[in-house]
Parts: sequence; C-alpha cells; structure tokens
Amino acid sequence: MSTSDEESRGVLRSVLPPEQVDRFLSTCDAYGWQLLAISTLAAAALPLLGLEAGYRMTVFTEMFLFAILALSWDLVGGQTGYPSFGNMAFFGIGAYATAILTKDFALSFPVAFLLAGLLAVTFAAVIGVIVLRLRGHYFAIATLGVLLAAQQISRNLDITGGASGKILLQTPSGETFYYLFLGVLVVEMALVYYLSGTRFGFVLNAIRDDEEKATAMGFNTTYYKTAAWMLAGLFTGFAGAAYSLFNTFIDPQTAYNGAWNVELIAMALLGGSGTVAGPVLGAFGLHTIIEIVETYAVGWQLVLLGGAVIITVIGFPNGVVGTLSEYASQMDYYKHGGMAATDTDDGSEVSADE
Amino acid sequence: MAATQFVVNGLLVGALFAGVAVGFALIWGVVDIINLAHGEMVMLGGYTSYWVLTLVTGNAEGSPLLFLATIPVAIAVLFGIGYALQRILVSRVIGTDIFLTLLVTFGASIAIQQLAIQAWSANPRSIQVSFADPSMNLAGIVVPKMKLVAFAGALVLTALLYVFLQKTRTGRAIRAVSQNPEAAALVGIDVEHTRAVTFGVSSAIAGGIGAFIAVILNIQPQMGLIYTLKSFVIVVFGGVGSIPGALIGGLLLGSVEELVAGFMSSQWTLAVTFTALIVLLVVKPNGLFGQGAEQ
Amino acid sequence: MSKATSGPAPDTDSGRAVLRTDGVTKRFGGLTAVDDVDIAIHSGEIIGLIGPNGAGKSTLFNCITGALTPDEGRVYLQGEDVTDWPEHKIARAGLGRMFQETRIFGDMTVRKNLLLAAQEGGADVSSLMRRPDSSLLARTDELLDYVDLGGLAETRAGRMSFGQQKLLEFAMELMSEPEILLMDEPAGGINPSMLGNLIDYIRNANEEQESTIFLIEHNMDFVMDIADRIYVLAHGERIAEGTPEEIQNDQRVLDAYLGRE
Repeated sequence: MSTSDEESRGVLRSVLPPEQVDRFLSTCDAYGWQLLAISTLAAAALPLLGLEAGYRMTVFTEMFLFAILALSWDLVGGQTGYPSFGNMAFFGIGAYATAILTKDFALSFPVAFLLAGLLAVTFAAVIGVIVLRLRGHYFAIATLGVLLAAQQISRNLDITGGASGKILLQTPSGETFYYLFLGVLVVEMALVYYLSGTRFGFVLNAIRDDEEKATAMGFNTTYYKTAAWMLAGLFTGFAGAAYSLFNTFIDPQTAYNGAWNVELIAMALLGGSGTVAGPVLGAFGLHTIIEIVETYAVGWQLVLLGGAVIITVIGFPNGVVGTLSEYASQMDYYKHGGMAATDTDDGSEVSADE
Repeated sequence: MAATQFVVNGLLVGALFAGVAVGFALIWGVVDIINLAHGEMVMLGGYTSYWVLTLVTGNAEGSPLLFLATIPVAIAVLFGIGYALQRILVSRVIGTDIFLTLLVTFGASIAIQQLAIQAWSANPRSIQVSFADPSMNLAGIVVPKMKLVAFAGALVLTALLYVFLQKTRTGRAIRAVSQNPEAAALVGIDVEHTRAVTFGVSSAIAGGIGAFIAVILNIQPQMGLIYTLKSFVIVVFGGVGSIPGALIGGLLLGSVEELVAGFMSSQWTLAVTFTALIVLLVVKPNGLFGQGAEQ
Repeated sequence: MSKATSGPAPDTDSGRAVLRTDGVTKRFGGLTAVDDVDIAIHSGEIIGLIGPNGAGKSTLFNCITGALTPDEGRVYLQGEDVTDWPEHKIARAGLGRMFQETRIFGDMTVRKNLLLAAQEGGADVSSLMRRPDSSLLARTDELLDYVDLGGLAETRAGRMSFGQQKLLEFAMELMSEPEILLMDEPAGGINPSMLGNLIDYIRNANEEQESTIFLIEHNMDFVMDIADRIYVLAHGERIAEGTPEEIQNDQRVLDAYLGRE
C-alpha cells in the first residue's frame, strides 16, 4: 500500500513519533465509552450554556445530521466494503414519509418518525436483496440508479407533491431537532462502536477484505451484509425523517440529493473510513468548511467538494484516522521482529527475538 | 401508426445515446474505469459548439453547414479536455480500489457542473438551426431534418471511431492496451499516453454528440449525469467494449424512452430508464461478470 | 461440533470416514475436470493429493468445499450428504480450507483474524453480538505464541510477510478446530526453514489434536514425508492410491508425471 514515501516519513517521525500517536490512539480506544459519554454530555449542555436557536444551532444540528449519514454510509461502504452511491434513497424515503404522514395523515411527529424509520428499513431490505449480489462498479452504479429512480418517482407522484415538493409549517422547535439529531447520532455511534468489537463487526470487515474466504470459513455473507445495509438504511431513514420537518420543506432535489451522497462519502473518507470516530470527525470538519464556503463563496461549494474528494482520494485514501493508526502501528510491528519480514527466514528470526 | 412514429423518434435520438455510450464503453474496456464525468463531456461539447456559433453569428443561430462546421471544434476541444483529465487525475488512481476511481471521476463531474453553472448560468440553452423546410413526411411519419442530420452525424462519428480503432496505429495500440497493458508496455507502447488518448477520443465523440444534442434537444450544466447513466445502461446491455452492442443498446433505449413518453408521459422516461438499469443488473449479472469487470 | 447422526448415510466401505466422495464428476463445457473420483479419509489421517498440473486437484477441492457443485456423484462429510449444501454451511459443519494463495483478512488485526475463525457458538446471533470473552482471547495468544507470531496480535495482518501470513492462516484453522482441513499447496512459496516449521506444526496438530488433513502438494519430498496415504489424479481421474512407498513405485504414476499415457 503506502511504501514509497519513506524519506518524508523520516522527518515526520522525528516531529511526531509513532509511539506517541500509538499511545494516543490506544488511550482513545481504551476509553471509547467514556469519550463518547463526555462528548455527548458536552454537546447536550451547549443549549443550556447559551447556544440559542438560530443560525449557530442550525449549523450544529446539520453537523450531527451529516455525521449520522456519513457513519451510516461507512457501516456498509467502509466496514463491509460495499461503497454505495445511493444511500440518500433511504434519506429521501424517510423525509417524504414524515412529510406525508404528518401533513396528509395528521399523525404526530414521533409516530411518523418511527414509521419513517421502519419504512426505510423495509425498503433497504428489499433493495439490499437485489443490489448486494452485485460487486464493484456494478454495485456502485446500481445504487446510484436506485437513488435516481426514487427521485424520479417522487417527482411524478401526487402524494409527494411532484416536482414542487411539500412545504411543512407545523414543525417542532429548533432545540427539539438539535437533541433529536444528537440523540440519533449518539445511539448510532454507540451501536457501531459496540458492534465493531464483536464478531458480527469482524465478519463485516472480513467481507470487505475477502468475501470468498469469509464464505469458506462458514459465514453466510449475504446475511451479514444485508443486516449492515438495513442498519445503514434505518439510521439514514431516521435522519431523513427528521430532516424534512427541520428544513420545513422537501422536494425531490433535496430529498434524493446526489451531491450530498458524494459529500457524505467524502466525509467518511476524509475522517477515516472503517472506524467509528473517522466518519463523525470527517463530517464535522467538512461540514464546517462547506458552511464557511457557503457563507463567503455561494455557488462554489460543489467545486470545493469535488476538489476535496479528488485530493483526499489521491492524497491519502486512508483518511485522517486511518493514516494515523497505520503510522502508529509501524512501531508495534518493528518492535516485534517485523523487520524480519523482508528477510528470507522470518520464522526463526521472530522466535529468536522473543 | 403512433407507435411507429414513436419508434422512429426513438431511433433518431437513440443513435445519439449510442454515440455517447460508445466512448464510455471504450474507456471502460481499455482503462478499466467507469468515467462518471463522461456526461459532462457531452455537456461541454454542446457548450463549445454553442459558443463558437455565437462568436461567429452573434447569436446561437445559423445555417446547417455553419453549425456542422462547429463540430470539429467541439471534437478538438473535448479531445484536449479528455486527454488532460486522464493525465492529471485519473492516471493517479488507476490500479487502486475501483471505488476510488469512481469517486475521483464523480468529484470531477460535480466540480465541472458547478463551474459550468458559474460560467454560463443554469438556464437551458439550445442552438437554432434554420432549415427552409424543417421536417419531411415519409409515408405519414414526420421526420425533422435536423434530427436526421444528428442521427447521421452520430452514426458517422461512431463509424469513424470503429475505423480508427481497426486501421490506425494508435487504434491498434489502444486495443493492445485494453487486452494486456503489461504486454503492450513490453512491445514498446506508451501505455499512459495510449490511455490518455483513449480518454481524449472518447470525450471527443461525446463532445461531438453534445453539439447535436444542443440543436435537437437542449443543453444545461447539470445534464451530464443522466447521459452517463444512460451510457451505463447501454453498455451493460450491449457488453463492455462492443461497438455494435452499444449501437443496438442505444437505439433500443431511445425507442423505449420515446414509447414511454408517447404512451405514458415524458415525465416517466427517466424513472423507466433507471429502473431498467437496476432490472438489467439483476437479471443479467452472470453475463456481466463474464466481462471480467468484477472486482 | 455437529457430529451428524441423522440423514441417509449409506455407510459402505468406510464406516468412520470423515470425508468421502462417491463418483464425483465435474465438467466445464466439453472438458471433464474431475472424472468419477472416489476418495475416503478417516479420522486422524494425513492424506496427500498429487498429480500433474491440470489434473483436477483444485477442482476436486472446490467440489468438496461447495465452491462448485459436482455434476455427478456425492460428497459426504461425517457420513452426511453435503453435496448440495452452500459453501458456508459445509464449512460450518466442520470443513476447514486453506487456499493456495494465502488468504487472510489483510486490513484487520492478527487477533481479529483469529477471533473470526473461532467456531464457538457458530453463527448464532447472541454469540456474534457479544464481545469475545477472555478465554477466547487467551486462546488467540496461545496460538500466536505457538506459531511464533506472539506480540503481533494487534498488527494489521496485511503488513506481515508472506510466510507469517501463511502461519496466521494455519493458526486460524487451528482456532476453528475443523473436523477435516483441506490445504492447497501449503508448502508453496515458502522458504525451506519455514517449511520445516510448518511440517512440525502439521504433525503436531495431527498427533496432539487428532486433526484430519487432506492436502494438495507439488513438493514430493514434503508430501512423501508427511502423508499416511496418497491419492493421485491425472486428467481428472484417480489413477492410484496407496502409501507413499507404493505410490513411489507405481508405474502408472511415473507415466503420468512423465507425460506417457
């Protein structure tokens, strides 16, 4: 993978020793639950400490929203190795479900919210059976096709308000959405963090690394990847379910936003896909940048996003967290006789070391 | 009778889809990249033709011959853009995870889209070509002359590509690289240059088609993705790297879309196309994987 | 482990066969890759499978593991007919497999690779949703020490050398304790000193844990040294079976290797 840039590593090593990075990362790892709890409390306390409903609170709420989307994408794209370009389909279904249920069926928001999640999961299950049989280019394009087909269909139906969409005036307060998105994000982070330490999580990673081998080891991979896909659908659906009322407006373009789909992939990659913290940090970071660009350079955000994606992919595809942990694990490897890896008779060398 | 008219309309437009898809298939086959920015090449070709014509006549109107004279310009400009796209961006991710190649081209796609909006606004534009008698009537079927010209133009471009691949030295190099890049390098072919030329040629054809689309339909900065996806549908149907397959796929897709538009509503054409894409992927997965494009 | 007692198990010649194939045939178009092959492997045996290139050895393995479905014939694992089972179910029933090109999960840590291999609790949801317990973790350390990879538990598996990866793959099989282990060229591509270690590990596993092993091998010294019995395939057909001595003196085997019919 990354072997060519040895000289630059030398300089880096003296400025930022891998042992330190390693220690930092393993501390984070060891206190994962505590870190999550502290961050949650801090975020929950912000409105009490004077964050008022308005522009700033909206920005924070959107950060939580994108973190949910990026983490959901990463569960399938990063952890399981099935990069989807169509996750926003779940979002759109959730968004339209609450919009229609609260406006046309006069259901209360909490009930509509839960039903919307359920609907998104059901949709994910049906679509998953179809698209998860595909791999590579075909999977990516099929998911993009799902997204665009869903968009076209909502544009042509009456119940969705057609191309002009639906305006929603009866909405809960800004603070409600702040806590709702935060809550969904925390639950999802806790779940993904927990799963990543179980054999269920290991199987997902195994599918990413070598699906055939995982099958040969006795895992029915269809079952696992569909489960991951449905989880992603559930949380993305919840995010959409809350978004339509939060935004007070929904139309096919915002509900099934292809550019957002790229944005959340970029967030996961920037932060470090295949980790729990990576997509969340990536979402916070990239959304802040996009927010600044939208304030000072309206109409250029997609140029920036496209550029960011290209630079990330070409520059460091492992993301911030991935690059750091790879860097940190170097030391671990060399300490334990890893040098022998390049020698011919490694077996004996390793044993001599111990 | 109505159905025949729809099919004729479909075939006329379908040739344009086929021309776009042929370039898409070529990049896929030779460089093993799904170029999600391929539709943007169509868009840029349309705008090139539009602005050249505007430069000459003061507005985007002109005689058929004057319009046809802008096409070589669109082709040349898009060749350069395609060549540069490969050299600057795509070459850096060849051989890595295919997902990264998709992301890079998608990143390029959305960046180009918005740059185009900034430069030319999001309003749809079209080129007006003046014919004395704009359409003719063949046994009760109306055939607009410009659509016929576009149809012929698309077929000519596709045929030229075919001849280029079969007869020229560069064309043979492209085919060699598509079959085995290592072996091609061993016999002295500059693989990187050849891949960039492939990108250039594919984009050039897309650009030429884009000029025709500017006349018979319209152009708009965000039109690209739809052409990329249509190309994907066509290539999946016709087979990666097969020019006749792409041609048949394109004509078929055009006909299906026109029939849907005619008998249902034009609003449903895209929904049907994307659903066809998913259905095609599901019912033909083995045929697809036989192409060796599976990761 | 599922010691299967149910199901119609025609026990003919080999009552205690761990693995048995009965007339397995696999065709690709006009080519018959595996032609009516019978084998029977008993508990605790180390069996070699040799033959010239293209003899159908790997295809036979694929038919046994369920990666391919035979056109004719049956495959029995522990007396149970597994011919039409999906691959993962056969693996779950106690069939382990090491691939020719070493296959481990490169972006996961060495320890996670091993934990994944543990068959305890199988694919049962509640066990999958729990974090691995301390006894399982202790077992991974023990196995890593055993194959001289101690201390590398938290390393990304893909970072290790080819030989180390091969040892990891072997440790994964020890972790899963299969009823029978199919190895495709375990000696391929590793250096002589490591080969010595590998032979010891295989022998130990066989003697101490009573592992049953079925291996494809091109390295004749290795296979003659380690196998109790050997099957020979040529052109998809089973042309000989016997102890290493018998095989070494079998005229048909020599002919097959020298290219005579």
